[in-house]
Amino acid sequence: MWSTARTVGEGDVVIVWMTRENMVPLRITAGQELNNKFGVFKHSDIIGLPYGTKVPSHSGRGFVYILRPTPELWTLSLPHRTQILYLADIAFIVNSLDIRPGSSVIEAGPYARFLDQLLGYTFPLAGTGSGSFSHSVARTIGNTGHLYSFEFHQERAAKARDEFARHGMTMVHLEHRNVCQQGFALCDAVDSGRSSSSSVVFLDLPAPWDAVPHAKIAMKKDRATRICCFSPCMEQVLRTVTALNQCGFTDLTMYETLLRPHDVHHVPKLVSIDTIIEQVKLHEIKKEQRRLEQVAASDRKRNSRKRKRQEDNDIAEEDGPDPDLGTGDQKRRRDVDASSLSTPLTVAQVQVEPNTGPEPTSSLKTRKESRLAALATSTPMSKPMPEVRGHTSYLTFATLLPLADGNFQVGSSMVANVPSVDATSTTLDRLIATIPEENLERALTG
Amino acid sequence: MSAITTPEHLENVEPLQSPLGRHIIQPGAHLLIRLPSKEVRQVRLDKEPGEKTINFGKFGSLKQKYLVGQPFGLTYEIQQDKSLLVQPPQRLEELEDTGATNEQIVDRGEFVQPLTAAEIELLKKSGLHASEIIKRQIETHVNYELKTEYSKDKYRKRKEAKFAKQITVLQPSLFNVASYLFDKDPVKIQYLRVDTLGQIANLANLRPGGKFIVIDSIGGLLVATALERLGGEGTVLYITEADSPPQFPIIDLLNMPEEHTTILKYLDWASVDEEHDPIRAPIEPEGEYRSEGQKGRYEKRRQIIEAYERLREELFAGEWDGLLIASQYEPFSIVQCLTPYLAGSASITVYSQYLPILTELQSKMRPLPAYLNPSITEAWLRQYQVLPGRTHPLMNMTGSGGYILHATHVYDDKKALSALAGFRQRLKQRRRAKEGAGSSEGDQGHMQEDVDMEDTNSTS
Repeated sequence: MWSTARTVGEGDVVIVWMTRENMVPLRITAGQELNNKFGVFKHSDIIGLPYGTKVPSHSGRGFVYILRPTPELWTLSLPHRTQILYLADIAFIVNSLDIRPGSSVIEAGPYARFLDQLLGYTFPLAGTGSGSFSHSVARTIGNTGHLYSFEFHQERAAKARDEFARHGMTMVHLEHRNVCQQGFALCDAVDSGRSSSSSVVFLDLPAPWDAVPHAKIAMKKDRATRICCFSPCMEQVLRTVTALNQCGFTDLTMYETLLRPHDVHHVPKLVSIDTIIEQVKLHEIKKEQRRLEQVAASDRKRNSRKRKRQEDNDIAEEDGPDPDLGTGDQKRRRDVDASSLSTPLTVAQVQVEPNTGPEPTSSLKTRKESRLAALATSTPMSKPMPEVRGHTSYLTFATLLPLADGNFQVGSSMVANVPSVDATSTTLDRLIATIPEENLERALTG
Repeated sequence: MSAITTPEHLENVEPLQSPLGRHIIQPGAHLLIRLPSKEVRQVRLDKEPGEKTINFGKFGSLKQKYLVGQPFGLTYEIQQDKSLLVQPPQRLEELEDTGATNEQIVDRGEFVQPLTAAEIELLKKSGLHASEIIKRQIETHVNYELKTEYSKDKYRKRKEAKFAKQITVLQPSLFNVASYLFDKDPVKIQYLRVDTLGQIANLANLRPGGKFIVIDSIGGLLVATALERLGGEGTVLYITEADSPPQFPIIDLLNMPEEHTTILKYLDWASVDEEHDPIRAPIEPEGEYRSEGQKGRYEKRRQIIEAYERLREELFAGEWDGLLIASQYEPFSIVQCLTPYLAGSASITVYSQYLPILTELQSKMRPLPAYLNPSITEAWLRQYQVLPGRTHPLMNMTGSGGYILHATHVYDDKKALSALAGFRQRLKQRRRAKEGAGSSEGDQGHMQEDVDMEDTNSTS
């Protein structure tokens, strides 16, 4: 498949990683340039760099990573990425069908899903088709395996063939063929000493039930073989199950699998409610203090006005109110003064306490320092991403068992399949006697 | 069906697999046997089965020799003489709705079934076939005819699980083995579910010919996965705290050909320290060899030490294609310790049954320039019953199959860094200019994010 050399060479397919949402496949050709919002990247600058290198743009204003393609990155780099959701499905199918190095696999119709969207889309870089599953299977079966791939759309088949050739996938044998009508043209030719049949079939077709009888012909008969049908709708599943059942497949199961990505956030340490209680109390005191200060200030103001007035009045008349009793205002003020003095908290305390929090005066700290301080007191927490894929497809699995025609007996057996009632012992007779008459009658006639 | 034509690619067909392939039961093979009760048991055939038997208690006992040469996957009925009768594949039957409801059924305990347990036991002892016993139970059942067809079907199935002497031989494939372990002893494999395992194998880019480092505290399931996916080509390096060669019963269970397991190498953790000089017994005697035997022993010791040194050098030479971790130890320390030996673009895949462990790992890896996009995912799996007219998700499902952290190892290019520094300077200038206008942060895309990452990194 893709280059396994340490460094990038001319003609290699690489994945250019910009962000996790933005990556593209690129075929390295000296003299060409990659131009995107992160800058201009000359292919000749990339040749000779080790895979996995962070590469600055020509102007030095941005950078990208040059990664070695994997089937997973390849899927992610496609323009209409239905992306990581397919990882879960593909991984489960490959694992469940027991696909491993040297396996021989049939797949049908894997490009439609992607290429429908791709046709007419200008994609100047490298690949056109997808074949996410093909790439993943090709990686797993290796050069000793075989992937028989069938595509009924001629243009897609041609594009896929080109792509497999570019990616050096020699284990893939692609054919343009409508398997629902024409079958797979692969058979279990054990007698000839060579077999192109397969132990595993994967159908990604709109009507897999039409292909199921053909698949049966193409599957190996000397062992238990497995089939998987990939359908988004339940109605498709039900029809597929009926077809599989009619064709003698067994062990029918169906799965749905998804990938739940989790995001990591740095959450500051949560404040205890005790702290909040104290803060509210302090706020109360502060508020009262402020009120007192305001009262004092307004009193001072009034007094000065009053003094001025009194001075004026003193001049005018000799008599005035009893100075010991004071005015109503003065009395109230004295009460409050006494009560505030009796509280243990002083004005000084009120002023100091709120400032002992984790945030020192911000003007003294740079943005970076405060960020680091926040990180130090915060805890990494994860939560599922808010919007995730809820459904991809139903995966219907079934097994085709190897059966020697009619010969079900293994080893010598003296016992007939179902013993007749004649072969009963006396013990049984006694038991039968205990069974109610009418029931027994039904049992013997039924 | 169309006529079978010979396509051009028949030129490429594989040679017929030898009849001794992994799909045929061999003497000495490990098997997974599914009993009528749905319980799966692990058994091993003798290398020379002879007349030896395997006993499944009430489900009967069979002679091993009858299984040898059989393909995997079939269901057998155990006969009285311990031979086997292959069961034809069972088709799913559409049940006809008779319109019966349970409205007439009143649960009166023992009155519905006059056959007592002791009587049934006697019937069994008399050698009566399971289907016959079930038939009798049905006939004596007072309310059977009142049941709905669905209910009758359930009743029959329940009785079959109890009396049928049927076994199914499952191929111990990676999928079946992982599922079996998850059901039987999930603690041992740290609740690593089979779908999660498949995702690890794909994310780690396991492929024939690759070189992978595997840290495994789950009884060898991860090592077995790597070996299975490498198919005898490449290297699997297992690093352990034990000073003896790893013993993994799980790998034996897979019936792998020997050449697939010889690519497994191991080192102890002390050897991973480049400064470490292991204490070794001398490879030469302090004088003459006393005997040929002694010379042979010294020679053997020398070979072992040389192989060990070669393996260490291979580790330190780096360029490993991937690191897979499912360990009981702190994952960040493992990742940090082995990162220097990973190739560019190498895959780092860490499994944990606990999300917080990976959360912490992610937060430690993210600021470091060697790790690209460390991200955490969780697998979700739901199985369905697909019976005609009765298709629905199973009533029980597993709560979690564990979590995966995946990252790519990258090289931090110095020029790219200086480019970044230049960018940072320009960013500052722009910010200063903006501050006057009071505008908010612009569209700096991922670069802004990376600048922040660098900041954290340079000071931490």
